[in-house]
Amino acid sequence: MIDKRQIMQTDMLLLGAMICLSVIGVVAIYSATFAQGPYYSTRQLYWLLFGLIVIIPIIIIDYMVYERLAYVIYALCIITLVAVLIIGHKVGGAQRWINLGFASFQPSEFAKIAFTLALARYLSLRPPVHGGMGLRQLVVPGLIMVVPFLLIAKEPDLGTGLIFVFIFCSMMIINKIRLKTIIIIFFGLAAMFPLAWMQLKGYQQARLLSFIDPSRDPLGSGYHLHQSKIAIGSGGLFGTGFTESKQASLRFLPEHHTDFIFPVLAEEWGLIGSFVVLALFQIFIMRGINAALNAKDRFGFLLAFGLTSMIFWHMSINIAMVTGLLPVVGVPLPFLSYGGSFLLTTLISSALIINISMRKYILG
Amino acid sequence: MSKSGFDWLKFRIAVVVVILGFLFVLVLMRAFQVQVLEGSRLLAKANDQHVRTVKVPPERGGIYDRNLEEIAVSMEVASVYAQPPRIDDTRFSSRVVAASLSLDQDSVRKKLSSKRNFVWLKRQVDLSSEKRAELTKLSGIGIVKESRRFYPNKYMSANLVGFTGLDANGLEGVELYFEEYLRGETRKVKASRDATGRLLFYEDVEDSSKGMNVVLTIDRAIQYIAEKALSKAIESSGSIAGTAIVMDPSTGEVLAMANHPTFDANDFTSYTPAEWRNRAVTDTFEPGSVVKAFLLAAALEEGVVKPNDIIFCENGEYEVKGATFHDTKEHGWLTVSNVIKKSSNIGALKIGEKLGSVKYYEYLKYFGFGEKTGIELPGDNSGSLPHYDKWSGITRDTLSFGQGMSVTALQLVSAMSAIANKGELLKPRIVKSIVSPNGDVVEEFGVDQVVNVISEETAKEVLEILSSVTEDGGTGERAAIGGIKVAGKTATAQKPDFVKGGYKKDSYVVSFIGAVPADDPKLVIFVSLDEPGAVKESEQYISGGSIAAPAFREIAQESLSYLGVFSGNEVDGEGSSKAPAITASVKKAGKEERARIINYGMLPDFTGMSMRKVLELAKSSAVEVEFSGSGVAIKQSVEPGSSLRGLDKVSVVFQ
Repeated sequence: MIDKRQIMQTDMLLLGAMICLSVIGVVAIYSATFAQGPYYSTRQLYWLLFGLIVIIPIIIIDYMVYERLAYVIYALCIITLVAVLIIGHKVGGAQRWINLGFASFQPSEFAKIAFTLALARYLSLRPPVHGGMGLRQLVVPGLIMVVPFLLIAKEPDLGTGLIFVFIFCSMMIINKIRLKTIIIIFFGLAAMFPLAWMQLKGYQQARLLSFIDPSRDPLGSGYHLHQSKIAIGSGGLFGTGFTESKQASLRFLPEHHTDFIFPVLAEEWGLIGSFVVLALFQIFIMRGINAALNAKDRFGFLLAFGLTSMIFWHMSINIAMVTGLLPVVGVPLPFLSYGGSFLLTTLISSALIINISMRKYILG
Repeated sequence: MSKSGFDWLKFRIAVVVVILGFLFVLVLMRAFQVQVLEGSRLLAKANDQHVRTVKVPPERGGIYDRNLEEIAVSMEVASVYAQPPRIDDTRFSSRVVAASLSLDQDSVRKKLSSKRNFVWLKRQVDLSSEKRAELTKLSGIGIVKESRRFYPNKYMSANLVGFTGLDANGLEGVELYFEEYLRGETRKVKASRDATGRLLFYEDVEDSSKGMNVVLTIDRAIQYIAEKALSKAIESSGSIAGTAIVMDPSTGEVLAMANHPTFDANDFTSYTPAEWRNRAVTDTFEPGSVVKAFLLAAALEEGVVKPNDIIFCENGEYEVKGATFHDTKEHGWLTVSNVIKKSSNIGALKIGEKLGSVKYYEYLKYFGFGEKTGIELPGDNSGSLPHYDKWSGITRDTLSFGQGMSVTALQLVSAMSAIANKGELLKPRIVKSIVSPNGDVVEEFGVDQVVNVISEETAKEVLEILSSVTEDGGTGERAAIGGIKVAGKTATAQKPDFVKGGYKKDSYVVSFIGAVPADDPKLVIFVSLDEPGAVKESEQYISGGSIAAPAFREIAQESLSYLGVFSGNEVDGEGSSKAPAITASVKKAGKEERARIINYGMLPDFTGMSMRKVLELAKSSAVEVEFSGSGVAIKQSVEPGSSLRGLDKVSVVFQ
């Protein structure tokens, strides 16, 4: 299944970026929750160690196996997504978790991988017709995306749902889609926007509104954003230092260990720290695209690209969100944000990209 | 894959990479913008919401007497509040609160069910730790530590010391005047504030700074003696108010400043501002004949009269510029000395004539009349002494016996002290030193000479003449103390009627001022009584000599024996080491009273007392007692009646 040469082919840069970011994540969580004690950072560390063990077989097993199992995995995920709506437990108004006794897990996270697998599988079996995909060719991929999207939106988890759309769009574009189709879809969605707006929960609408004018209500809907900017801004060039984030320790910044870990990091390590983290992400993403480009087959290409885009969109949306470029939609920062399911998802995604990259040459 | 398709792929990948690069740069620029360009503004915002400066109120300094006995101290007490919205069980909570704070249950329940976010239940209570625990267990009930002012001597020197408000700010008296010293520095502590508004302190808040201690010139024992004598005189004379001051003439230090009415400083709100007033410095009155002492001093100093010059006193009736002046007793020819001894108004008027208006006015000014004394107390009143330019035809004549000007008790004491202090007027002082919390003397208030009014010789002559006042036939013979020469002057001044003009009938301020011992004055004592009334029914004649002089004598005797000025056989015929006055009163008083009287000034007779009783007495006398044996006291190492001054240990044998 694997031989020495393949191990030699392991993308060390990507692996290194992944490990660096994960370790930075544990440290950042420790620092952000310093005032509350090491509960979160310890758990995150356990998840990280668990994840690093889990990804070893995932790397070793040829991704062709996953290719064959893609629909099965996808189906299993859809089942758990349905299950979460029935037996999942609620945290803060959202029903996103399934309690396993020793830990809860978030099926919507793993669904991202399953969905990407299924989409890559489907597209790899149907090379795009000349000129790219038309609307008709988009129906099945669209359904593959819409089913989990709706199930997740129902939880509700707008941020995760959005990621599905972004991954979908990225893969469609890379798979070649007609320009005409893009335009039709764009205007179609724009026409549907008022309808979608009606479907949004009150707090989701409020977040979008507060994005338009965050200073309008600094203690209300714009509070997250306001406090996040204060955190990032007060970091300056060099930051306040390890565990010195006032915004986190004094609890001005909500969710400072999950979605808003980056402001804490930026406050403590300044622009230098922000730059290092962004650079690591950039390395990871460039290596991910490289893995896609050099994939030995179409499935590998689409899967590597899809997973890389997943990491990219998470990173971009999260940072754009906490710096006030986008509304607060609840998208975590890969590797850094606290959360076992999410960390595991990103580690497995990375493992799959590594898997693809180390099998770029068809070996005997 | 077709070749052209692959090119397309490359193109799309390139587009993706460019987009990625663009987004990356965008995010990085955004980070730069927020962190560096807006950094300082956002940092200021961060500090604004994180850092709170909290004022920690200092612990107020204490007020002590000259022997460092406590007069006012601050104690830590609890104030209990409620946050009604956070109360779980109003009925239960109000029952517990009412019981532990001894409040009415209904009113507590009303408070607990109010819509306000914060209500005080009871401020400044002394809570036992059990009650404290009981209360803090209830949700929505909280306790904050507050500092409460406590005056262990209650009524004693209350008018002088004043009191503080709920926020520990001085409102009256020494508390007010020395507010800045006593209050101390409010310590500013930087604290972090979290998003819920809770404060996290980096420094120890408990360790609050302390205010300076103020050490008064007052001697608590003399103050007690003065207050006791004053209230006795007030009671027996039926006066509405009174003042007694004891001063050390050689330093200007006020040893006692007693007022009536007075109040319990621990509970000042139950009294009226009229009762709070320190009349000794704030209230003015027409001094009356006391002024003759200063007239005499001026006339002798200027050489216009000699003590033995004789003056015709017109047999009690004298007309000047259409006004007729009277003496209470008809006098013919009197020596200058006798004019003072008999307190003849007409005689004084004639001395004034010889001295002249300008000189008289100048001397009165030198003695400090019409000027603030400069004492470190609020309400220091200057009284009034009109300038001679404004004097009418008979102003000098009336001023010769103290009508037409107003003075404060303290001014009189201060002026008399100048005579007792070889002619030098000193600034009266109430504060000896300011002592830091760790015991270092920060500021020492020393003798402050104002002016040399008369020469030492004149002062001596005046004292000699004033001594005759308390001799047989003088107006102040009731102030005489066996074995000690007392220089003094009585005054019986009619009170001006401010409504109708002129003077009120049967409404007097009677007073006595004296210096003891006259040869070498250690104390100047003043006693005044406002509107003595009850005496009218008795056969007693209302005068300074009849009412104020006995109080003066009591204060003088007890203070002198306390100070140890009486010693050995120097006293009168009895030849014992006990002060005669004390011996006399001890004989009359019962056992309990006897112990109490002796307590202020001298060592009590412990014999026959239980150990507990001895300990109690010794404690209040500030004497350390060494016990031996058990049972009832049979012997003590130091004779009863010995002065407590310089005595710090006495051993008592019990059997």
